[in-house]
Amino acid sequence: MAVGRRSNGVFRIINAIFAIALGCIALACDRKSENQTDSSSGQSSGMPPAVTANQVEVLFVYGSEKQDWIDAVTPAFNSERHTLADGRLIHITTKPMGSGESKDDILAGRVQADVWSPASGLFVTLANAESQSKGGPLLKQTQNLVLSPVVIAMWKPMAEALGWPAKPIGWADIGALAAEKDAWANRGLSQFGPFKFGHTHPEYSNSGLIALLAETYAAAGKSRGLSLEDLQQPQVAATLHKIEHGVVHYGRSTGFFGKRLADFGPGYLSAAVVYENMVISSYANSAGGTPLVAIYPKEGTIWSDHPAGIVERPWVSEEKRAAGKIYLDYLRAPPQQRRALEMGFRPAEGDVGSPIDSAHGADPKQPSTILDTPSADVIAAAIQLWRREKKPSNVALVFDTSGSMNEQGKMRAAQEGAKALIQMMDPQDRLTLVPFSTEVRMGKPMEVGANRTQLLSAIDRLHADGGTNLYQAIAAADGAVMAAADGEHIDAIVVLTDGEDNGKSVTLDALLQRLSRETETGGVRIFTIGYGQSAQLDALRKIARQARGEFYTGETKNIIDVFRDVATFF
Amino acid sequence: MKCPKCTEENAVESQFCRRCGAALQPPGAKARNAVLLVIALVVGVLAAAFVMAHSRSPSAGSATPAEPQSVKTADTRTVTHIGVAYGTEKRDWFTWAVDAFNRTPEAQDVQIDLMPMGSLEAAQAIVHGDQHIQVWSPASALYKNVFLRDWAAAHAGGNPIESEQQLALTPMVFVMWQQRYEPFAKKYPEVSFRTISSAMNEPGGWNTIANQPEWGFFKFSHTHPNQSNSGLVSLVLMAYDYQGTHRALSAGQITDPEFQKWLVGTERNQVGAASGLIDSTGTLMNAMVQRGWSTYDCVMVYESNAVERLREANGRWGELRVIYPRYNFWNDHPFYVLNVPWSTPAQRRAAGAFAKFLLSEQAQRQAMAHGFRPANVNVATNAADSPFVQYANVGVQVTVPGVFCEPPDANAIETLLLGWQRSQAGK
Repeated sequence: MAVGRRSNGVFRIINAIFAIALGCIALACDRKSENQTDSSSGQSSGMPPAVTANQVEVLFVYGSEKQDWIDAVTPAFNSERHTLADGRLIHITTKPMGSGESKDDILAGRVQADVWSPASGLFVTLANAESQSKGGPLLKQTQNLVLSPVVIAMWKPMAEALGWPAKPIGWADIGALAAEKDAWANRGLSQFGPFKFGHTHPEYSNSGLIALLAETYAAAGKSRGLSLEDLQQPQVAATLHKIEHGVVHYGRSTGFFGKRLADFGPGYLSAAVVYENMVISSYANSAGGTPLVAIYPKEGTIWSDHPAGIVERPWVSEEKRAAGKIYLDYLRAPPQQRRALEMGFRPAEGDVGSPIDSAHGADPKQPSTILDTPSADVIAAAIQLWRREKKPSNVALVFDTSGSMNEQGKMRAAQEGAKALIQMMDPQDRLTLVPFSTEVRMGKPMEVGANRTQLLSAIDRLHADGGTNLYQAIAAADGAVMAAADGEHIDAIVVLTDGEDNGKSVTLDALLQRLSRETETGGVRIFTIGYGQSAQLDALRKIARQARGEFYTGETKNIIDVFRDVATFF
Repeated sequence: MKCPKCTEENAVESQFCRRCGAALQPPGAKARNAVLLVIALVVGVLAAAFVMAHSRSPSAGSATPAEPQSVKTADTRTVTHIGVAYGTEKRDWFTWAVDAFNRTPEAQDVQIDLMPMGSLEAAQAIVHGDQHIQVWSPASALYKNVFLRDWAAAHAGGNPIESEQQLALTPMVFVMWQQRYEPFAKKYPEVSFRTISSAMNEPGGWNTIANQPEWGFFKFSHTHPNQSNSGLVSLVLMAYDYQGTHRALSAGQITDPEFQKWLVGTERNQVGAASGLIDSTGTLMNAMVQRGWSTYDCVMVYESNAVERLREANGRWGELRVIYPRYNFWNDHPFYVLNVPWSTPAQRRAAGAFAKFLLSEQAQRQAMAHGFRPANVNVATNAADSPFVQYANVGVQVTVPGVFCEPPDANAIETLLLGWQRSQAGK
């Protein structure tokens, strides 16, 4: 069954419907993909803190959406040398994680957080529900650190063409745009090409799930009381299908969309579902370009409220508890709240002022209303409906089988990674295998649902030998994907290589020029993985950037996770 | 603790001022640090042992003190600890009060451990023998009869309350955004549970009420009746409002099918009905101020919650409107000194001294600054600096209008809670 094939370990573990529904967002919303490392305020990344007898060490695990803020204020806390009443020094180590991922890790004791702050109160509800059989709630009392509503970020000229700010715009309008041929040209904005929409993967990201629920509400013509019966209505599926077919690609990270919007401008995406603070922070980097504005959907939205509290587990001693409270007081104190406001978050305490204003694309008096959070079984059913109606993908897997892949177990691990990617693809997706060494062996596009076993076997049969004709392989794959492009699929290439190109027929410059021409008309997204120590990272980074995809580094120990992360884009 | 920079009152354990962010340090702290460090080494060992002994797991029905209530310090003084389980609506006031009380001679050798707990949660903890609690100060006496009955059943009779005093008074209020109140008042004759229920059930929401489709549905909430006193009071007031009376609410009136149908229809459309109601009144009021009219057009909270947050609300979303319901209820913030097997005479004396301090003019003025109506008649609510005068422009009144309802008996309350639980079924 398709759903089962795509399910990962978490879904197999979680049995209750509520857990399934919210577990969909549990697999780490907003984890950084590149480098796949944690950062730690006041600490070198990955280095254990040096704890002295006169020091209390507190581990603060938090949703990565607020990493910039936490990184900005925590080193100051540590350097100010705050103490407990008995004089012991408090030191805070921070660990940004996806909220669902951190929930699972703390509940399992893999991460022994002393203080936890996920992106949303949904995760506290879920954690406490799951935690009842493990000695009581995970968090007893929480306070919000900052807030930010989920919004539709859109380029200002496009929003104005839709009547913004005088006319309220909603999820249903986005659906209509996605379904309309030549939407921008019809409004005198032909320079922007087709309407392109983006939201994160609903099974992995908080904002993606919210986008899906909002679309479903709009399709049902409701803003509360979404029911299972609503989801069975043909027009709900049809509307969802139309909206999703305007999607450029999905992805795990809301931050990724926010950053890419700012980096690539209107040609990349017309609109994306992000947090309000990301629209505001885009003004700091826009350098006078086309500005983004936050559209607060007229049907309603949902808040990301960043609750924080002391973890109720045996490893949290009384002194850690006291130290954690002092740190949370610090985060909620006016200077730190003002810093959060400067970064575009709505503070938990105090007034809301600039930059949450029209000069930064925001409106402090919005949203006007919210969407009612549906029950767990409705959420689960909405995700199932999305799986059926989402935009399918047309992917080429460019897989390095040069002789160097035989070293250090790289080939075997990469094959397992590629198989994980195939397992996560949906039945209606298409995959073309393009293994290469000195030669480029173009496979045929195959629908995954009917050919999954065959594709997995083909991966298992690959063996490493020969050179690295990387650029030619990418160019050939690009040609094949473009030839099959029909506007109804997410067109993408996934490239894995462990070495430098040593082919002679295609240069890097020529490849980049080709990709540059294509990007102007939409093109193929390329996701590159530099595998091991000898990969040509700079070239791979340039290719991914030119093709508006994403660049990863991977090693044998994490290559499966890297492939899984790539799969969230489809 | 008062901020040296802006004079804002802060929680005693705060290290930073909540208003201006200045670092807070107790007076003379630097000079005392060296002495404290030496004492801390000695006391620390004893304190650690004490803390370890005070694990929070209640032992049901335990009748014998299983842990020390007093600790001898290094200079052989005996410190009496008292645990005060109190409603979180009084957090800021009580935090200030403990700090101020600690500076009085009566506080010598007394340590007060504040335990913020929901009123119903605290009652159940005492019934189950939580030996950390020697004083219970819920928001109102509404749950007292249920508590006494449960105690008698679990402990073979006896009165667990040695003495009780009212610390302050607080009526319930509806709080609505002025932006939403004006069109609401044009459509409906008054703000009551009946009109709020009608507004929540308008199929077209604000589009029908005031031709404002972008405002969505009318959004109202109270706290969780099983976890918060104000949620339970809200249910009681709904029942009185529906029956049009303020006395002797009976189980029969509560089980009236028409009332149950109305209750279900009202409760099912509350904000958070599907995902869970908020369990603390302070948290509900905070949520209203933080999320504005996007999430709450109207809430029912204590008057003190509203008064405390009026200024901040204005700096975020706009002006709030305070409306007193026609049928109201006095939350009298009782201070119950417990006579339970695990409390000692010394603890009860210490609790009495703290109650006396809370009723002093100094402490009562502070209570009023936090929006409570003083129990001490020497503190006037109609003085110029009273919040009940200062906020008259947004509906706060010195003299509370309406009629005040009688607390129902234990049976009626339990019937009401059961009816409410049924209204939650099937979501």
